[in-house]
Amino acid sequence: MISTRRVLTALTVAGVLGAAAPVSASAATTITMSGATASYPLVSLLASKYVKTHKKARVKFRIAQGGAQVGVNDVSAGRVTIANVSRDPLPSDPAGLDFYPIAKYGICVVTNKGNTLGNLTASQLVSIFTGKVRSWSQVSGASASGTIDIESRTSVAGVLTSFQTLLLEGKKVSSVASEQSSEGLMRQAVEADPNAIGFISNYQSDKGGVHVVSVGGVTCSRSTVISGQYPGIARFYEVTKGKAKGAAAAFIAWITKAAPAKKIINTQWVTI
Amino acid sequence: MLQRFRHPWTDDRAERTLGAASLIVGVVVVAMVAFVAVHAWPTFAHDGLSWLGPGGNLKDQTEAMQATGAHAPASAYHLNAWPIVYGTLLSTALAVLLALPLAVFSSIFIVELAPRRLRAIAIPVIRLLASVPSVVYGLIGVLVLVPFVGNHIVSDSEKAKYASEVQLNGYSLIVTVAILAVMITPIMVALICEALASVPKTWREGAIALGLNPLRAILAVVVRAARPAIVAAAVLATARALGEAVMVYMVSGVNFWSPRPGDGVTFFFEPLRTLASTIVAFAEGASAPALRSALYAFALLLLFSSLALSVAGYLIKLPLRKYQVRA
Repeated sequence: MISTRRVLTALTVAGVLGAAAPVSASAATTITMSGATASYPLVSLLASKYVKTHKKARVKFRIAQGGAQVGVNDVSAGRVTIANVSRDPLPSDPAGLDFYPIAKYGICVVTNKGNTLGNLTASQLVSIFTGKVRSWSQVSGASASGTIDIESRTSVAGVLTSFQTLLLEGKKVSSVASEQSSEGLMRQAVEADPNAIGFISNYQSDKGGVHVVSVGGVTCSRSTVISGQYPGIARFYEVTKGKAKGAAAAFIAWITKAAPAKKIINTQWVTI
Repeated sequence: MLQRFRHPWTDDRAERTLGAASLIVGVVVVAMVAFVAVHAWPTFAHDGLSWLGPGGNLKDQTEAMQATGAHAPASAYHLNAWPIVYGTLLSTALAVLLALPLAVFSSIFIVELAPRRLRAIAIPVIRLLASVPSVVYGLIGVLVLVPFVGNHIVSDSEKAKYASEVQLNGYSLIVTVAILAVMITPIMVALICEALASVPKTWREGAIALGLNPLRAILAVVVRAARPAIVAAAVLATARALGEAVMVYMVSGVNFWSPRPGDGVTFFFEPLRTLASTIVAFAEGASAPALRSALYAFALLLLFSSLALSVAGYLIKLPLRKYQVRA
């Protein structure tokens, strides 16, 4: 009995020490993020590259999504270090936020694969998404027939805000539209519905499965975003409360200046 | 130290330990309700109980809540949650109405009429079905049923007729109710089967000896004796349907639309929103205090409904207890 007790005591002590050791070793700083689902693929690529190339800085990342507005609210309340935002600063944003642009992206208008609609003029786009035109038969060039199913994003999405400012002349997407909570769900919904029309970042539309519609005669692709011809060019931002400090500042500076970061951005997106 | 636990416990110590365990469960439940109530308070403080009522536009209201940011003015708490209360009641009621007869009849078949071998397979399979995670059902719903209903069941003319008000693209009441029914039927079947099986054989034999044919004997004696268990099963299933969040979020549609019974068959193809699925939809965006308070108010309402359900179930069972068997 006594020997068992000794062994147990020894094990317990060992366990406590073992648990304590990693705690003291992990003095790493954690950068927490929340926000846009559109910039999530880019930011997570950048973060994992940064962790690999800056082993000495011992930085860890925890990246949540939720939508640009969620990120803005979180960062202003101090719940995260950095917010990922996929739209320009708004007058309604809380005061004291610093927006650091990190990349440009195109907001592509997409339809189902079966709908070979080639081009929409700016005014056609507005009348479709505001719900003025509700039937594909009223849209010249559309091979779909029947009612137009408008796919939109939930109100926290920065891509929605950017889309309305850049491509809808500031008008709001019709309230009949279905609201998707992420870029991926939006693409899935358009893929599954022959009558659907929606909008996603060029990173998502490049993955295929949907048909990309030109706007005003300009196709939506990385090259028209570089040349600046495409009307729906928006920016991704990293947003901090006040000026970025410490590890967050170093990370943001690395994104905007370092060559490896620029290389990652230029795979699917465009550097500022 | 450890060997003290090896010896049989004294009654006194066992009583205190087990008592403490059940006390902890009770404390956790009370603390949770209190926590939710405290966080829901701003919504009640602003509108009283009238936030449950109709009027206003819930979509605009939630958007306004999200836009207010960290310091919400009192006006941001304004809310008319009737569309989602209605959606919850509608989808739950229809699902239970659909599933209950199905569950009762299939239980009768499994316990009384099925060959022994089939019964040996059916009961474990039903138990398994009862424990399938709801997100699996949701995935099948959103990838298979929703596009199917949207592309093949709803006609183009129906879509065109309602195009200016609502999109009938498959996210619908009928898909929600169908999957809810599939989810809750196995739970009811499992419970009702046990109750039917525990009715003494002699009661059935007695009824047949008195001249009833076997089917009448089952309905008049066995099912009658199992009524309290059927009520209990229905209550449990209703609670599950009421609180189902993820699956409903995936297939029910994303606007705060209330299906209108006046629209005929189209009623079933219209989208809806429920309390629980609204909580899922906004959980990530709940950093705005007004919206967070509203979500907690929905949660409190759901907690309260489960309580009300248990009480109602108890009250219904009281007069049925005369010939009951314990399941």
